[in-house]
Amino acid sequence: MSDIERLNSMLPNSLSVEESREKGILTLSVGPQHPGSGHFRLIIKVDGDIIVDAEPDPGYVHRGEEKMCEYRNFMQNIPHLERPVIADSCSILYPYCLAIEELLNIEAPRRAKFIRVIMSEINKMIFELYWLGIYGIFLGHSTMFMWPMADRELLIDLAELASGARVTHAYFVPGGVRNDLPDIFKDRAVRQLKYFRNRLNEYSKVFYENPLFIDRTKGVGILSREDAINLGVTGPVLRGSNVPYDIRKVEPYDVYDELNFDVKYMKDGDCFARAYVPYLEMYESVDLILQALEKMPDGPVRAKLPPNPKGKVGEVFKRVEAGRGELAYYVISDGTQKPYRVKLSVPSFRAIPAMRKLLIGARLADMPAIYWGLNYWPVEADR
Amino acid sequence: MTIEEFSFANFIKSVLWLAFWILTVVSLIGIPILFILLFYVEPPEIAGMKITPYLLLTMITNPQVGAPLIRATLESDFFKVAVFPGFGFASIFATLLIFTERKLLAKMQIRVGPHYAGKEALWWIRQFGGFPQLIADLLKLIGKEIIIPASADKIIFLAAPVTMVVASAGLVSLIPVGENWVVADIDVGLLVIFALLGFFPLTALLGSWASNSKYPFIGGLRALHQLVSYEIPLFLSILGVVILAGTLNLTGVVNAQSDIWFLFLLPIGAFIFFITALAELERIPFDIPEAESEIVAGWLTEYSGMAYGLIQLANYVKLYALAAIFVTLFMGGWSGPTIFDSIYIFDSLVFSGEELSSFLWFSIKTFGVAVLMILPRGINPRIRMDILLRTGWAKLIAISFINIFIAVALIYTGVV
Amino acid sequence: MSDQSLYREKEIVDKISSKFGEKIKTNYINTKRIKFEVSKDDIIEFAKFVKDMGFDHPISVAGTDYPKDGKIEVTYHIDSCSNESYFGIVLTIAVRLARDEPIMPTLMNIYKGVEYHERETFEMLGVVFKDHRKLDRLLLPEDWADIPPLRKDFQIKGR
Repeated sequence: MSDIERLNSMLPNSLSVEESREKGILTLSVGPQHPGSGHFRLIIKVDGDIIVDAEPDPGYVHRGEEKMCEYRNFMQNIPHLERPVIADSCSILYPYCLAIEELLNIEAPRRAKFIRVIMSEINKMIFELYWLGIYGIFLGHSTMFMWPMADRELLIDLAELASGARVTHAYFVPGGVRNDLPDIFKDRAVRQLKYFRNRLNEYSKVFYENPLFIDRTKGVGILSREDAINLGVTGPVLRGSNVPYDIRKVEPYDVYDELNFDVKYMKDGDCFARAYVPYLEMYESVDLILQALEKMPDGPVRAKLPPNPKGKVGEVFKRVEAGRGELAYYVISDGTQKPYRVKLSVPSFRAIPAMRKLLIGARLADMPAIYWGLNYWPVEADR
Repeated sequence: MTIEEFSFANFIKSVLWLAFWILTVVSLIGIPILFILLFYVEPPEIAGMKITPYLLLTMITNPQVGAPLIRATLESDFFKVAVFPGFGFASIFATLLIFTERKLLAKMQIRVGPHYAGKEALWWIRQFGGFPQLIADLLKLIGKEIIIPASADKIIFLAAPVTMVVASAGLVSLIPVGENWVVADIDVGLLVIFALLGFFPLTALLGSWASNSKYPFIGGLRALHQLVSYEIPLFLSILGVVILAGTLNLTGVVNAQSDIWFLFLLPIGAFIFFITALAELERIPFDIPEAESEIVAGWLTEYSGMAYGLIQLANYVKLYALAAIFVTLFMGGWSGPTIFDSIYIFDSLVFSGEELSSFLWFSIKTFGVAVLMILPRGINPRIRMDILLRTGWAKLIAISFINIFIAVALIYTGVV
Repeated sequence: MSDQSLYREKEIVDKISSKFGEKIKTNYINTKRIKFEVSKDDIIEFAKFVKDMGFDHPISVAGTDYPKDGKIEVTYHIDSCSNESYFGIVLTIAVRLARDEPIMPTLMNIYKGVEYHERETFEMLGVVFKDHRKLDRLLLPEDWADIPPLRKDFQIKGR
């Protein structure tokens, strides 16, 4: 029996009520009002403690971002496009800015490119800390919920210093960034990042080296390398499954090719690997920011743009590495002031097939670890 | 008076008016009835004195007359059951534990915990830092509606929290906090503890079944599995103590530890008891029946308002009880050096120095053990059901047999 | 862009055109981006061939409505995770379908990951994917009773 046939035989509707009663199978609707779901529903069927079927049901926070883009001109799209992931709002604007820059034939100044790298790495860390905190509380570890949330404030302060807003920065614009960094930014960033790196070591002691955490995640929800690639997952999930694939390395944008960093990956493909890769990446992000702060030249931060510019006819596909993985924009322009079509390819949406695959056959208690380990962000997936 | 005419002055006026009428009715009807009753009813006799209204009135001017009554009241059954060392003491201890837990966890998690409640109004208890938050929480729970699901079995649904409180109070009644200071000093006290602990899985299952909802049902089944499989190592770990002490009476167990605590003779048994007590209490890392990210709140999902409050109260009273049982079985119970002088009021004994010291030692030990039971919550995630059951059945039971062998060997070699 | 810098892309196009010849139209070759236009009859064969070449990681499925041409274009974006010499190259595989009858075979038997992307395209543009596991509502409300919203003749109210 092929995988597809096996999947087909486990369709949610393939079991009638009578059959469920006879076989003792319980249908649970996890979400949208459930402490462990977010704006998202998972319809799962459990036989005892084993999940025999899972059907993800996103769409509770769909706002039609793609349609909205077609009605606004290139600049007006900036604020609403960062709403899907307010915890990682720079990264979700980044590919849009790159795409529009190519459509408008402009290039960001060199200083702006460094600032964009710095801000996008800070935002990545802000997101990863949020993610780590929720991971902690999903496994019942309340200290691991509080610590990253508290340390996240430091990075939010940094981002606020640069952009003026705590979460929705609207900082990246086509042609650079909105404003220059203040003078005190460098000193404060160096100080806070050093403190933050020490805190990261403590996370490892209280969380990743905890035998109970290892019990719950090692060998749970194993996603093989072939499945990970074929299911189209991305980011830490892909790298946790022994695929050292990072957009920053394979297709360097802005100044990532001038900075030294490693692609962190793990071989196991289980929940522990997916939880550990973002942790390792936070060390890399700290290094990246410190390097970029050193190498950053002086100069302008924003290229001159005509008001309400017209794009060239054509299409662009641009992608960056966000906190959750590869974030891509497919923008088609027909030569007017507005994009003809904007398609967001978001990492969360790409995690859904893997979620279904991993949940079937897992234990009910493993559901939070698998679900949140996949870096699924309901609001982003719905767009 | 319509709602538009409402003013605070009117409200005060109506309250005063109500108070006036109550006073009038009580003084014109209530007091004569009381006097008629006193004429016919035989007054109770405490400490060789007849408690008549005249004696009570005399006590206002000459308190010395009533002084022997204090000790007599303290030793009465009602006081022991309701106040000390019974349910009242346990509840206050539990409240203290809740507050300690919240503050301690906050300290571990770089927070401040309860801090603001009552800070302005009750300036004189500011140093307690937010202690009134517990009162506020209690008031909130009392004020909330108890929502009963439409398809629930109402009687069993509401009986479950009450049963839980009763079972926890039953546990409390067996704990000696001092020489002769125990509500029920029965010869088979440990057996009664086993029996009462057996109530909790039943309560959880009935409550979850009566909710007629899916998540509570799963939670109830989990609670049943967990509690039943952890009661066996719990009982086996106590068996070592019984072998050494030669009695099932808790006071007898404490007296048997006058030379050395059983903690040092049976460390394995103490360890197993501690772990299984955590599992019995459904505390992190064993809060599988209430795992909120998997099954919402487990078998508590449908409970709201004071029904939920009662379950929480029962949980914390149970925490106190299990910590106290641990102290009684392994840490010498109330025993400790006498550091207080006796308290006399008008030359009649209220508390002797030994009693006061034993209360203090017992409280300190119990508090310490309870805090140790709270602490794992700050550093551990929740473990999984299959790991829990494997640990319980395969490892803990095996180790507890080793513990029994050690106890037998100690008896055989004449160490104890 | 000199011709030297695009040698990897040229190589891929040569490989594909030697296999399929005139059936495949190459729309553009940019740095790390190649767009092919494939008819819906050849798409399964083409996808299998491309997957064997090493392009095994599906990124997204987008649909674009062209009411002037009377076409709906479904674009698959595929990149490579296993063949290191193709790292970073994104293939854009476009299938142009008639707007009146947008039916094409599903690719979810080749790339499992496109299952939910195709479902989204189905509800957003009304493209029917034959043999799909479950072609059903995904993001839109269950009571949505209008034309597919990403078609150009669907107008947002007030705009």
